[in-house]
Amino acid sequence: MSEPSGTQTSQPAARAAVANPLVAAVLAWLVPGAGHLFLKRGRRALLFFVLVIAALVIGCRLDGNLYTPVEGQPLTLLATVGCMGMGLPYFALRYLFDYHGEVMAAGYEYGTAFVLTAGLMNLLLVLDAWDIALGKKE
Amino acid sequence: MSHFLLMVVYALLVSLFFTALWRRERAEQVKLFLQLFLGMVVGGLAVAWLMYPFPSGPPSPIP
Repeated sequence: MSEPSGTQTSQPAARAAVANPLVAAVLAWLVPGAGHLFLKRGRRALLFFVLVIAALVIGCRLDGNLYTPVEGQPLTLLATVGCMGMGLPYFALRYLFDYHGEVMAAGYEYGTAFVLTAGLMNLLLVLDAWDIALGKKE
Repeated sequence: MSHFLLMVVYALLVSLFFTALWRRERAEQVKLFLQLFLGMVVGGLAVAWLMYPFPSGPPSPIP
């Protein structure tokens, strides 16, 4: 019995991987935009770097919280993972600059939103770099 | 910085980010940017306006 016509053509054509997705994802996580730079998307890499670092700098200037897990508060674990999404800047702030944020500062809540957003944006960049490397996105 | 300015800066950063992430064509980028940016700013103002009649109360103690 023959296959119904169009069965083969309705499937999207599988694209070949552009680059090693693991390398692209790790680079994207370590430095914002580095994954896209590795994948030869220089302009977008620069834009993403500027946006993520701008969010981080504004957040730190407002004394926002750079989360660490707090015992008995499981949501801080999620927030920590979100902040760690920014890669090397998180560890540089934490261990080189001994940055923690200042809970009494006027801009603490806003700053925390900016810092957390920087980490979450970079996590999305990791996924984007992964997809581009696999050929699923342009 | 004022609360409003911070909200606008936040909306600007996030809108630019998702525009660059999700769209490639210039016309589509402009459209999505305006949707996101105005949605956040106007939406924020609308929520603030709705909350205006409610009293804020004393600040909660810091644990």
